[in-house]
Amino acid sequence: MRIRFLCNNEQRDLEIDPSLRAIDLLRDTLGLTGTKEGCGKGECGACTILVNGKPVSSCIMLAAKLDGTRVETIEGVKGKDEELHPLQQAFLEEGAVQCGFCTPGMILSSKALLEEKSKPTEEEIQEALSGNFCRCTGYGKILKAVKKAGQLLEEKR
Amino acid sequence: MKEKEYSVIGKRVNKVDGLELVTGKAKFAGDLRFPGMLHGYAKRSEIPTGIIKSIDISKALEAPGVHLVFTGENIPGPNLIGILPPFDQTLLAKDRVRYAGESVAFVVAETKNQAKNGASQITLEIEPTKPVLSLDEALDPASPKIHPDGNVTFSRNLIKGDVDLGFAEADVIVEGVYETSYQEHAYIEPEAVCVVPGGDGRITIYASCQSPFHLRGHIAANLGQPASKVRVVQTYTGGSFGGKDDVAVEIGALAALAAVKLGRPVMVNHDREESIIGSNLRHPSRIKYKTGAKKDGTLVAKQVEILLDGGAYASESPFVTMKALIHAAGPYRIPNVHIKSTALYTNKTYSGAFRGFGVPQVTFASESQMDELAAKLGMDPVELRKKNALLPGDSNATGQVFKESVGILDTLQVIEREREKLKEFKGDDHYLYGTGISSMLQGISNGAEGIDVVGASVQMSQDGSVLVGIGLTELGQGSRTVFAQITAEVLGVPLEKVTVKTVDTDSVHDSGPTVASRSTTVGGKAVLTAAEAVKESLVTMAGLMFNSPGAPIVLKDNFAILEASPEARIPLDQVATAAYWTGFPLMNLTFSKAPPSNYDHDTHQGDIYVAYNYGTHLMQIRIDRITGEVTVLRHLACHDVGKVINPKGLEGQVEGGSLIGFGLAHMEKIVHSPEGRIINSNFADYAVPTIKDRIPTEVVSIEKPTSNGPFGAKGVGEPPVAGTASAFANAVSAALGKRVKKLPVTKEDILILLSEREKK
Repeated sequence: MRIRFLCNNEQRDLEIDPSLRAIDLLRDTLGLTGTKEGCGKGECGACTILVNGKPVSSCIMLAAKLDGTRVETIEGVKGKDEELHPLQQAFLEEGAVQCGFCTPGMILSSKALLEEKSKPTEEEIQEALSGNFCRCTGYGKILKAVKKAGQLLEEKR
Repeated sequence: MKEKEYSVIGKRVNKVDGLELVTGKAKFAGDLRFPGMLHGYAKRSEIPTGIIKSIDISKALEAPGVHLVFTGENIPGPNLIGILPPFDQTLLAKDRVRYAGESVAFVVAETKNQAKNGASQITLEIEPTKPVLSLDEALDPASPKIHPDGNVTFSRNLIKGDVDLGFAEADVIVEGVYETSYQEHAYIEPEAVCVVPGGDGRITIYASCQSPFHLRGHIAANLGQPASKVRVVQTYTGGSFGGKDDVAVEIGALAALAAVKLGRPVMVNHDREESIIGSNLRHPSRIKYKTGAKKDGTLVAKQVEILLDGGAYASESPFVTMKALIHAAGPYRIPNVHIKSTALYTNKTYSGAFRGFGVPQVTFASESQMDELAAKLGMDPVELRKKNALLPGDSNATGQVFKESVGILDTLQVIEREREKLKEFKGDDHYLYGTGISSMLQGISNGAEGIDVVGASVQMSQDGSVLVGIGLTELGQGSRTVFAQITAEVLGVPLEKVTVKTVDTDSVHDSGPTVASRSTTVGGKAVLTAAEAVKESLVTMAGLMFNSPGAPIVLKDNFAILEASPEARIPLDQVATAAYWTGFPLMNLTFSKAPPSNYDHDTHQGDIYVAYNYGTHLMQIRIDRITGEVTVLRHLACHDVGKVINPKGLEGQVEGGSLIGFGLAHMEKIVHSPEGRIINSNFADYAVPTIKDRIPTEVVSIEKPTSNGPFGAKGVGEPPVAGTASAFANAVSAALGKRVKKLPVTKEDILILLSEREKK
């Protein structure tokens, strides 16, 4: 079947197998390996991408469902002039990244949150990231990074 | 004396490999793609034990996309995972299976789905035999023998003084039995390897792994090839915590065998279920303690019997057994100690290395005893620990005496001060409150447990940039950053000028395994020594350039500076270029070796580790009496780390390790069916702490430097696990007024304990 969608602001027009998962389309067909597979069951959040601005688990989504949508993966997350996005900057500076395998999903879930609300409360951050597992950091620095990124975004506005 | 001012050491620097991780550009093993790449998938046993009667692969060979199917019969080498003696574990089971989840055949196909489908077409005929599933069954002489020599994997004694005489002197004795359960590493990246055969007869293994030189040796052996024909490149690794060692050898060797046979790249990328059932777990334990003290609280005797459930194969059980043995007496001065530590085989997924390595289990038991003893003596728990805390010059449980870097008392003093600041809460019909403390120690380095050699190289180019090579791996813990900081400090260059190589067995040197919280201390010391040798060349060259040979010269901010007249400075790239052309070596390769240890393996007396990390944790909790829900109100983790190299990285280690300890103590549970199969091999049923379960860990560091570590630093990766788990158990016990004797103590367990309490 044929699907068309906007991937990281680039129009894509592809012939796909209807049983293909969204994560495999991104990683294998488009080479966007920044999206990670941690469990294959939508339980850990490593494969989170944004579809029309909302976080979804790409490992339990069919690629066919992307037709007509706007998709954002970690490769599309950038600041102005190709510099780091405030979330990437904050994750780096706060030490919110250790092994980095959960980081792309974590950043995308956080981005969806900050686009709705640049000053989220701790509870709101925890709610937004409750589906993204991290085994390295204990989450404290991730929480700080998201708050800080919210401030950075405010300043840049 | 004023502390030396450092440029990079002790500074809150960003992770040197952080940029590629936050942008998603870092390539993990599963991200690699090579032309013609195939995918491998193992067929596993579904029953815990039985005799393999036949493996019919004929249908699988005909399944779509399948290129190769093989069993243990087809392996040219010894068919062993065995990263350590007694080398009892096969890559693919032959003759019999010993745990549910054990690999018996390997299928290679165009896609992973085709490989999986092929595996489902294999007919396994296994005649089930009676499994041994518990410690008691393993101990029962009437039970079947899992391995030819019986069901004892490893057993050792630690004997210090005379424990009977010690108890005879005791005014007060407490006794108890404590149990801990399995824990799964649950790194977010499942195990993965990609093997690429080269045209020159060599093969390259790109692996998510912890100890690449282990892989190289064992994969080569299974191929029947010399180690030098095999190259292992560690890819970015999505967490390991002790877990990506044996299993990385298993999948690396299987993929390598297939890649060689087919002449095509082969990838194995585990599903989450395979990662849980098919790779090692933390040892469950049952530990019997008896502690004796004088009326004033002075500890006089300790007797401990540790049983560890090692599962179907030895893996690192012998070393975990030893580590538990050595740490069971805690950070205290006790003249008479007898500890027996034993690992047993059972027909379950094998246990092995997991952050803490036996120490969390014994610390939970030992620190429970300390609280029970304090209660019996009518003494404050902090006071009791302070009274017995090891001091510099004291002999610890193995009789080792450290004259420096013994900071346990300092951590207790911090915790005592902070405890006074805690808000006081009064329990009511809805909530109960409790405060717990725990003290612990964790040996840094392999020490007398095994080899402790590190090869490290430092090389400056003419432009003043620096390349560092070491065989210890970055797993997220930040060791690359620490190595870069050490080098930058010594050579006077900014951090950005230092690159730490990817661990590639062709380009760095065997540094032993990345374990035992040893990277910063043992690895860092080697990097420091190599950097100092390069510095020597630069300083000598600069002296000649200043026309002041031998004059004191400082390397700082990219310059060589004449100490006597600091305005005289030459850019380092000019010094490096001159040194290069003059013939002063700008490269050094060092092998650092731990000091020779005098250790008796029968009594476990003598010098074992190069240092210990000491810690005390404080935790205040609230229990909801209706739901059993626990809220951690305050958690303070205070460790003597010698010297903080990167505060940001250190906090990350302590916070992350603490949450793993919290998971062990409160949330995580592997569940077996009565037949011995793991039934919660996914993240919906195995509770990994989420951000909602996070605890408010505050990190406090004590710096009592060790001369065995760079700038005095001691490792910190493992210790917070034990500290947090034990403080939690003591806090819950305090809140309930009832001793917790089994971990995890989940919400449900707390409700049961509450109802038992109410009945009384």
